[in-house]
Amino acid sequence: MTSTKKINKKHIAELLSQWSEEFTVFVPSRAKGVPKWARWDGEGASFLDWYRNTVVPPKAIFLPPMEEMFSFQKDGKDYRLELPASDKPKWLIFGIRPCDAKALAILDMTFKDAYEDLYYLSKRSSGLLVGLGCTNPYDSCFCTSLGSSPTDAANVDLMLTDIGDEFLVEAITDKGKELIARTNLAQAATEADEARAKEAKETASSKITRKIDTEGIGERLLSCFDDKDYWEKIAAKCISCGICTFLCPTCYCFDINDELVKNRGERFRSWDSCSFPIYTQMPMENPRQEKWRRLRQKVCHKFEFYLMNFNVIACTGCGRCVRLCPVNWDITQILDNLPKEQLKLEKC
Amino acid sequence: MTDRDMEQKLRSEAKALLEQGKVDGIIGFEDGSLKFTTTPLITSDKDDTSRLVINPFIVNNLSVYLTEVKGRVGIVAKGCDSRSIVSLLQDTKVAREDVVILGVPCRGIIDLGKVEKLVGKDRDEIDDITRDGDRVVVTVSGKEREFPIQEVLFDNCLGCELPTPQEYDILLGEPTLPASSGDKLVSQEKVNRLKEMTPEQRWEFWGGEFDRCIRCYACRNVCPACFCERCFVEETEPPWLLAVPRWQDNLLFQAVRNIHVAGRCTDCGECERACPVNIPLRSLTREMYGIVDELFHYQAGMDKDASPFLAAYEATDTGDFIR
Repeated sequence: MTSTKKINKKHIAELLSQWSEEFTVFVPSRAKGVPKWARWDGEGASFLDWYRNTVVPPKAIFLPPMEEMFSFQKDGKDYRLELPASDKPKWLIFGIRPCDAKALAILDMTFKDAYEDLYYLSKRSSGLLVGLGCTNPYDSCFCTSLGSSPTDAANVDLMLTDIGDEFLVEAITDKGKELIARTNLAQAATEADEARAKEAKETASSKITRKIDTEGIGERLLSCFDDKDYWEKIAAKCISCGICTFLCPTCYCFDINDELVKNRGERFRSWDSCSFPIYTQMPMENPRQEKWRRLRQKVCHKFEFYLMNFNVIACTGCGRCVRLCPVNWDITQILDNLPKEQLKLEKC
Repeated sequence: MTDRDMEQKLRSEAKALLEQGKVDGIIGFEDGSLKFTTTPLITSDKDDTSRLVINPFIVNNLSVYLTEVKGRVGIVAKGCDSRSIVSLLQDTKVAREDVVILGVPCRGIIDLGKVEKLVGKDRDEIDDITRDGDRVVVTVSGKEREFPIQEVLFDNCLGCELPTPQEYDILLGEPTLPASSGDKLVSQEKVNRLKEMTPEQRWEFWGGEFDRCIRCYACRNVCPACFCERCFVEETEPPWLLAVPRWQDNLLFQAVRNIHVAGRCTDCGECERACPVNIPLRSLTREMYGIVDELFHYQAGMDKDASPFLAAYEATDTGDFIR
């Protein structure tokens, strides 16, 4: 006997039902016309049949495409501010992929840095991640190049691995242990189950064929930072839309806008993108008027600046940007083809 | 003439254009990084021309790059793309002498979304997709399945009025004939279903669709007709609408965009294809295209010498608002 458990797939709906009593449970859903995270509707677990990954990443739960920050009312000479109602429910994300769980950990670093972003943190702090390892990764996935794998349990509380009719359930954190201990639906896994899980994990990893070389990536990017010809060349086909940044699980830039009607209004924040020519236009000018500068910023932020600031690459290899780009601008090709000749650093 | 023949001709013509200094750059397609995809190739290097491809997956409307690329360029254009180019000529966004059109007589572009739906698999799970005349053979897990080509072509290919460019400098193959008029009905069906709804139902429908819009502006940025240097949606003084993805603002953005490109939009379908959250934008462009055609007998990008629809008036116009 081992300490791991297993649960039959046909019991997942009941498990979600049990967890719903205590948590707001998020599952992958196609109900709104695109695969994204939605509150479990209480109707089964049919998402298991189609779910590979969502188009909209789970960051949208904590950093929504738009959210009201506060409302304001002019009272004579003064302004009265009011925060939006928030019940801060305990949440549980069921089925998050390892790449997206890692992405949340990466986002946390920014939102918990010198400035603590309460809008993000208040939503993020009180929940559980139930991971689901990939058995069928996309051809655009490249998580194994970024220190992870399709079955990596590093950033979740509970990890599920598909072993046929059942999921092997591994408790990763104390919270995860407690969570699985409370349900009567899981049973002890056998050594044979564990062996099957091990095999499933190895098979999944071997399916990731897209690779990037991250060895010394920060230095390599720095050394070609001023190679305008390269950046211009790789930027040529980009159309400067926001798909790759908005749907990136680690991109977090946001814009703030007020809506004023007579003497009252709301302040919103919403996703912003360094791909847009008008990015940061409000506080000053966008210093990156040319497209190649914006593209360079996007690549360097993820693979160089984040590495310098937080010692981690802000890309988890989820492959969304590769899959969803309307012109097939592929970050893995860009990193693969970085100029080999090292430019002199003085030029930078 | 096969795609391969056209491809060979394209490569040698493109190379010659660059070598002879007739163009500064070439805009075409090369193989994409994912199965069954192509990607725009924008280059001034003659050696790159050996990577140019012509196949049933050359989906992008490359004319979107014309207003951006400097100098004289050779551009690969299917019939629909050539209409966008003509529209840009009409609007004087591009000068005719600055563009060498490498025309592709088109037999339709394969909509991977339709193939995925037919076989119940995602693009990357499919082994092979081969076009064979009027049929397409899709291989999944070693098993071949055959479908009529009509079932896998983009909606707008089914109603295509101009598969072979009217305006070109070099035609890469034998002209292809327009689709039969019956096919147009397929393309119109989705619009008709919406028109049959009550205004309340329609409002609810679009409210639901635009609720998931994330305002990434891919629809606008892939659109050759959306050539404003600064889009109204980015104006903040006054703000015409809020830059946040609230469904009402999203819907209004798209409605205004549609009106702005009326008479310029050739209904190429790029906006809908680019949309990452599957909003059926072509139902809007198709309807607008139909309205312009019905009321003004004007079809965008068909005649480079015609005045642009929204920029012309005549003293004899029946409406007196203009006088």
